[in-house]
This record gives sequence, C-alpha cells and structure tokens, in this order.
Amino acid sequence: MSLEQFKNRDVSDSGYYLVDIDAYPEKGFDKFKRIVARTFRGELFVGLWVVMREMIKFDIHTVQYPKEKLPVGPRYRAVHEMQRLWESGTERCIGCGLCEKICISDCIRMDTKIDENNRKVVSEYTINLGRCIFCGYCAEVCPELAIVHGGRYENTSEQRAHYTDYQDMLTPFDMALNGQVPEYPGFGAVTPHEDERVKSTPLAY
Amino acid sequence: MINFKINGTPVTAERGETIINVARREDIYIPTMCYIEKTSPCASCRLCSVEVEGLDGFVLACNTPPTEGINVITDSEVLETERTNIMRMYDVNHPLECGVCDKSGECDLQNKTLEFNVGQQQFAAKDQPRKIENWGLINYDPSLCILCEKCTHVCNEVIGDDALDLLFGGYNSKVIPKNSDVLDCTFCGECIAVCPVGALISSDFQYSANSWELSKVPATCAHCSAGCALEYEVKHAGVEAQGAESIYRVKNNFEYATLCGAGRFGFDYDNSATKDDEAFAKAVEAVSKAKAIRFSSMITNEEMMILKALKEKLGLKLFNRDARHMQLFMDAYASVSGTKHYSADLETLKESDAIIMVGTRIATDNPGVRYAMTTAARHNGAKVVYMHPLEDALLQNTVTQFVKYEVGTEEGVLALLAQTLIVDQELTQREQSFIDSLDEGYLSAETNVGDDELELMKKQFLRSKSKTLVIGSDILAHERVENIARLVALIEKYSDFNVLVVPSEANTLGVSLIADLDIDDHSENVVGYNAKGNFVISALEGADLAVPAFNQQEGTVVSIDKRVLPTNVALGFEGYTLNDIANALGVHAQNTVDYTSRLPQESGFKAVDFDDLENFYSDKGVDTRGYVLDDVTVKRGGYPEEVAELPEFNGAVIYHANPVLQFNAFTAQTKQLENDNNLYGSASFAAAARLSDGEAVTFVYAGETVRRVFKLDETLKGTVALHPTFDLGLNVRSDYRFETVNFKRESK
Ligand code: SF4
Ligand code: SF4
Ligand code: SF4
Ligand code: SF4
Ligand code: SF4
Ligand code: FES
Repeated sequence: MSLEQFKNRDVSDSGYYLVDIDAYPEKGFDKFKRIVARTFRGELFVGLWVVMREMIKFDIHTVQYPKEKLPVGPRYRAVHEMQRLWESGTERCIGCGLCEKICISDCIRMDTKIDENNRKVVSEYTINLGRCIFCGYCAEVCPELAIVHGGRYENTSEQRAHYTDYQDMLTPFDMALNGQVPEYPGFGAVTPHEDERVKSTPLAY
Repeated sequence: MINFKINGTPVTAERGETIINVARREDIYIPTMCYIEKTSPCASCRLCSVEVEGLDGFVLACNTPPTEGINVITDSEVLETERTNIMRMYDVNHPLECGVCDKSGECDLQNKTLEFNVGQQQFAAKDQPRKIENWGLINYDPSLCILCEKCTHVCNEVIGDDALDLLFGGYNSKVIPKNSDVLDCTFCGECIAVCPVGALISSDFQYSANSWELSKVPATCAHCSAGCALEYEVKHAGVEAQGAESIYRVKNNFEYATLCGAGRFGFDYDNSATKDDEAFAKAVEAVSKAKAIRFSSMITNEEMMILKALKEKLGLKLFNRDARHMQLFMDAYASVSGTKHYSADLETLKESDAIIMVGTRIATDNPGVRYAMTTAARHNGAKVVYMHPLEDALLQNTVTQFVKYEVGTEEGVLALLAQTLIVDQELTQREQSFIDSLDEGYLSAETNVGDDELELMKKQFLRSKSKTLVIGSDILAHERVENIARLVALIEKYSDFNVLVVPSEANTLGVSLIADLDIDDHSENVVGYNAKGNFVISALEGADLAVPAFNQQEGTVVSIDKRVLPTNVALGFEGYTLNDIANALGVHAQNTVDYTSRLPQESGFKAVDFDDLENFYSDKGVDTRGYVLDDVTVKRGGYPEEVAELPEFNGAVIYHANPVLQFNAFTAQTKQLENDNNLYGSASFAAAARLSDGEAVTFVYAGETVRRVFKLDETLKGTVALHPTFDLGLNVRSDYRFETVNFKRESK
C-alpha cells in the first residue's frame, strides 16, 4: 500500500463492503434452529483435529517453565543491575542520588559517605522490589549509566517487602574486565567507533 | 537622603547605602555572586555591574553608593553579555562534579551558570593539581573555589578570628589558613555557610546527603543565651534505620544571622527512650513527695511554667542557681532604673561605637555577643574596652584596651566606672553623695585599675555616639550582685551607655522572668530536672526517667535580645515528658505549648499562641522570630549602698570557663565537638600552684571531687587557671566563677 493510498480517508470507493449479517431471529423456534445449525457445523471438528494432530506428532511448543526459560528482549525492564566500567571494572555509580529522587514509588534508598581519597562512595543501596513498578525512570535519569534494568524477572517472595542490595545487583568484577557485560545499541549505549569520535575537548591539552 | 533612579523609577537611598541595597529593597534584581549583606562588599565577582546613564563603562552595584540624580540601568544587552562572559570565566576548568558535589541544588555557581545559559566551555586554562585540604571540621577543595572572598570577609569582619587568607597566583589562587599551615580557629563554620559553592564543606556532612532530601526544621539554638536562629536538616538515619531519623547538619541564614560552631556542629545531643511506665510512675511519685525540684536553664519557658504550676500545686521549692542570680541582678537593677529589662540588645551592640565589657569571657560565654562586637569594631570602628582579670587571646583583634582588675573586685570596678562615666549629670542628692563618698584611692589600689587606664578609656570614647556596657555572668554570680546591679543601673541612668546583660545559660532570662526561685539549701529529697538530684529526670545519660532533649521539643526561650523565640521538634521522642508528669499530678494541659499564651504578662510576655509565632528572617533581613518582650516599668526606690570591703583571692585560683565550642553537658556528648576538659594555666600559675605540665590533680568543686589534667598554656598570663565545667553535668557551677582550690596531686 502506498502512502497515498494509506492517507486516503475516502472509504466510498476503496473496496470496502458491508458484511451481510442475518437478521436476529425473533421467534423462539427460529432461535432454536440457529443454535442447532451453529452447533453441528463442521468447524468444530476442524479445531479438534488440529489438537489431535499436534498431540500425535509430539512436536510441543510449550515452554517448560521454570525448567526452561525464554530469552527476554534487551530492552526488557526487569530487576535492576549496577554496571561497572569496561576494562577498569570501576563501579559506575557515583552516588548522585538522582535515581533515589526520581523513583516514582520511592523504593530506592541509599547511603553515601566520603572515602579515604576524599571521594563520594555508596555504602548502602537497596531497592524494594515489592514496591518497584519497573518504570525505568531510575535507569533513565542515571547520568552515569550505572543503574540499568536487567533480564531477571523472577520476583516471587514470601514477603511483601523484598529487597535487593547493591552487591546483588553489581556486575561481577571479572565480567566487566573480560568485556562480558552486554551493551546494546540505542540511547545511552556506547556509540560505535567511539575511539575515532573522541576529539580533544577543551579540558585536554 | 539621595534621590536617584533605577531603570527610570525614582528611588531614594539612605546615607551609607549602596545601589544594591536600594535595588534589593525595591525588589529590582541585580545578579551577584560575592555579595553578602553582613560584611563590607567583597567586590570580587563583577557580576553586579550596572550602567549609569551618561557614564562610560560599568559600576559595581555592591560597593557604589548612588549620587543624586543618576539613572542606574540594571538590565541591558551589554550588561547581559558582560555578565555572561563573567560566568563563562567562572566555569573555565570548574570540575564537572555537580553529580556528587554537596552544594548541588543550592549552588550559586550552578544557578547562575544555568541562568546565563553557559552550556559549554569555549576556551581552557592549563589545569593544576589541587589538593583537597582536611582542616578538622572543615574540608576545602580549591578546585571548586571561585575566590569570591566571602569566607575571608566573614571570618575577619564578623567572627573576628581572621583565620583565612587568599593566596593569589592566577589559576593557582586559593584560600589558605592565615599565617599557619593548618587552620587554627574557633571553628564557627560560618565560612562553610557563606561559601556559594562546594569549596568549603563540613567534613562530617560531606557526601552523606543531598541538599534536596533534607527537610528543614526552623529552631533556636539551645547552647547559649544568644538564641541564634538555625535550621536542623533532617533525613532518615540510613538504609538500616527502620524509619528513624537523624539530624545531618545545621544551617543558618548567613545573610543576616551568624552561628557559632557549637550550634553548627553540636546538634546530635538528642535523647531516645520508649515509654517506660514503671520509671514514669516512680517519677510521678518522686515529684509528688519532693521537697524541691532542682533544674537547669536549658529548658523552655513552657517547661518552666509547668514547674511553676507544680510549685504552686504541691508547695515545693524551685532551685536554679543561675536564674536566681539573674533575678537578683535584674530586680536590683530595676529598682534603680525603673524598667524590668535592660536596655540594649545585640542589634544595638552591633551599632555601637564604644563598648565596655565587664565580667565575662565573652568569646566562649556567648559567641553571639562576640560576633556583634566584632561587627561593631570592624564596621563602626568601635572602641572596645575589655575589663577582666584574664586576658583573652581570642579577642585580640577586637579589643582596643584591656583593663585587668583583681579577682573578686567587680564591685569596686563598677564603682570606679560609675565615677568615671557619670559626669555633669543631675544626680539626686543621695546619689551624688554616694558618688562623692567613693574612696578612689582604695578602690584603685584594691581593684588594680589605675586612674590612667580610666582616663585612656574616656579619651577613646570622646567621639563615640552609641555606647554599650556589657555585663557578664561573673557579676551575676557575685556575692555583691545586688549592689553591682544598682551601680550598673546608675551608670545607665546618668551616662549615655546602654546596658546589655549576658544571661549565663540558654534560657536563664526566661526562667528568671517566670517564677520566683528559692535558695538552694542542698537538702535531701530533691528531684533533678536536667540537673542533679535524688531522683533525676533528664535528657542526659543515667537519668531515672528519660525526657526529650531540647532539639526534640517545641516551646519558647528568651534570648539575650529579650526576644521570645520559638523552637521546633527536629527529632521525635517516644517517651514521657514533663507535661505527662504534671498531668498525672493534676496540672492539666494537653500539650506543653498550651502554656505559651499563658506566660506572665507582668514580665513582658504577650498572650500569643505558640502556633502564631514566626521563626525566620525575611528576604530583606527583617527578624520576624517570635516577639520582643514588652517594656515593663517598675517602682524605683533603690540606691547603691556603700561598696563593701573588696575581697582578696590568694593561692591557686581557677576560673570556671569552658573551651571554645563547649557549653554544657549536651555539647559534651556531641560527636564533632572536641572534649577538651584539661585545666589550663600559665607558667606563673604553674609555679604558684606547683603543678607541672601534664600532671593530674583532683580538687573539690561544687561539692564533688573533680579530676583534671593540668596543661601549660603559653597564651595565658597571670595566676588564674581556666577550668572547664561543661562535662560535669548541668547547673553545677558554684556561685562565683573564680575559686581558690586545694589541689591534691595524684601519686604517680
Ligand atoms: S524502576 Fe521506577 S519504581 Fe522501580 S526503582 Fe526505578 S524508578 Fe523506582
Ligand atoms: S542515578 Fe546512577 S549514579 Fe546516581 S546514584 Fe543512582 S545509580 Fe548511582
Ligand atoms: S560547586 Fe556548584 S557548580 Fe561546582 S560542582 Fe559543586 S554544585 Fe556543581
Ligand atoms: S570556621 Fe569560623 S573562625 Fe574558622 S576560618 Fe571559618 S569563619 Fe573563620
Ligand atoms: S572558599 Fe568559598 S567562600 Fe571562600 S573564596 Fe572560595 S568560593 Fe568563596
Ligand atoms: S556582587 Fe558586586 S562584585 Fe560581586
């Protein structure tokens, strides 16, 4: 369909037609006749046959959850992960507190402090998954691409409040070092050919 | 009056006002970066540049007084470009660390960068490695510093420490401790408050919270009688806190008010308790059977009202030493002056150009008075005469004349002052004959205040117009307090001096105005309320019943300014309060603050509800906090009596004075303030008392044995040692602040 056709809102001559719908039966007997006719139509057996055929073929497509799990899309928003920088393995979170501030359900809480090098470090960081609505705001606001949503979508818990801690979310150190942290194209991701694109900034001489 | 125009609108300026003062008063916006109301203009940022019609170039609004008839333009394209260029310069090499910076969210540089839309840096300077300095309670990051000079100005002009200096060196410029490698100052933290960026930050607070997550509780400082306005900044106590909150820092409206370090850093003295019914029942019983209640002046007026009601209902006595001294002084003073309250306050002190201070070690007794005095000295060139047996190194930048008198001779000193300051006045015959009867030779000899010193003082004051006499707590606690008070009132009546009395504790004045107090006879069966007793109800450790500390209560206090100031609950308290005990004993009130409107009007209080009291400085610096006590006239009829024989203090004399930033048992338990309880004395004291540096001694003080380590202090002179009392519990100070003691050496 070309764009022209698509934009054409005149329905009078573009092949539309009204479906022929029988009048609704008025009398009781007419209604009965219609039920009988619909009940004993062959279509019922067509459906039953498909089920029967698949059963006999043993080619079953049902995923055997929880033994078997489907991969989720890269942009899926499940339990958060805390990223490290590639190569150096440094934790990306700088403790700015923006995720805590923006969180719509107020479920992030963090403690920060000054370390021996006079830098800000995160000493505690928790997310109450019982309250998180997985809106993604925290990941969106993070200036360091530190907090992202991962693929772990299983959240069942015996308690209503169910927390995840910084250490649980943090990417294992060696994964970062070995470049095993997946990066996906799109907003916030490392752009292709990054090295060539870096120019000397005013702060470099 | 100068008539001129701003943007074509006619405005008028008072003498001494600059363009910015007028513009701000008229709500005309001129951006500034280095301007601070309470100091002389720093004039370092040039952001306040304005144009004057018919004049080439720009003038600085912050330090230019307007001239008659000019038209000032505050907004034009050229100005916009000029100001944007200044902001571009500020942003050159400024670290991109708003993400972690403690100032983010309340940073002037951040705000102005956004205001002038500086989105990128077009040029750069070679960056220098700059070391972050850790100066004890303060951290300084030179790479964030914009060299606005606010910190140095405030430290010199308001605080009087003059501890900071600017080191110029192009892009290497920075703030450094003056004449020293490390910062050695009174740690008021005012430089932190005025710093427009994150360069100066409290080291305890740094990186622990963001400005936007802290809720602000406007309150009144509880540590001394200056009653400074402060804001507690409160947040949850951390991830593990289970809903508990804690105070993260204290801030103040630095534009118009000043805080000392005890107020700023000594905030974590809150008490925690749960409802202990058994202890409560015991407390109710103890109070109902008590002969007296002994209490400290670190309580609100409302708590005092409850105590008064208990006194009336149960017929018990009320013991409070310092407030009783205050009462004695003020009653005797009023009998001569005819007014219930002394005449001056901190504002009049700030505007004075002649100040005499007697009987106080003011820098540690009441830093608010010290700051007002420093401001007066710097801004009006005030002559400050400090009369005391001990010199104070902290006042060396402010005091113009130090007059030393002998310990205990305050009555003689005031008599000499009366003789010197009262001239050619219409005294009544009785007063005249009193003045004439003074034996100057004897007084001079005994007090050791020479004629020449008094003459010098008089000469200094020749051209002064606004004079204040500051009376400290040495005098309030003196044996002859009543006669000294009459002398003070006489001076006030017949000279151009106003009188400012420094109440010894946070709410000494308020307590003294509410109920009559009894002489503490040290009898048994006394309930201590924030004080020692046979049954102790207190916010301090070791109490028989825990009650909320001052920062967990609402209520009012009366400050040195005779202002009734409200304070609010910064942190919750789960346990019982004094009001619960009173209710159990039949003195009914739903809330403690129900008493606010019932405060005695015969003492000058107004019938205002607690909830109707404001607690802030307006944008234009108007102090709206609480209300000022009404003037109350009382019957005259008092006359100074003959000066008693002046006492002599021989042997090892100690003076009860606390170290900088320490005031009482509450400041003693805060984590940031240093707990230095050593006995400090000069070499001549050491020789007289035969003590050596580092030696531990014990002696009896206020009925109890105290152990102290003696330390030699080079900066001290004379034969009196400084003895801290802050860690000995509340309301323990014995009457007069100087004492002869017998030291017992500890066997080594
Ligand atoms: S996904 Fe949304 S609700 Fe969950 S933590 Fe992030 S901001 Fe909060
Ligand atoms: S927004 Fe990002 S960098 Fe900031 S605290 Fe949250 S996770 Fe850390
Ligand atoms: S001082 Fe201000 S502009 Fe500089 S990093 Fe801190 S918040 Fe940002
Ligand atoms: S803390 Fe106070 S005394 Fe010390 S440098 Fe800062 S302003 Fe000056
Ligand atoms: S430390 Fe702060 S107040 Fe002092 S000059 Fe630097 S920016 Fe200004
Ligand atoms: S405000 Fe006038 S120069 Fe900074």
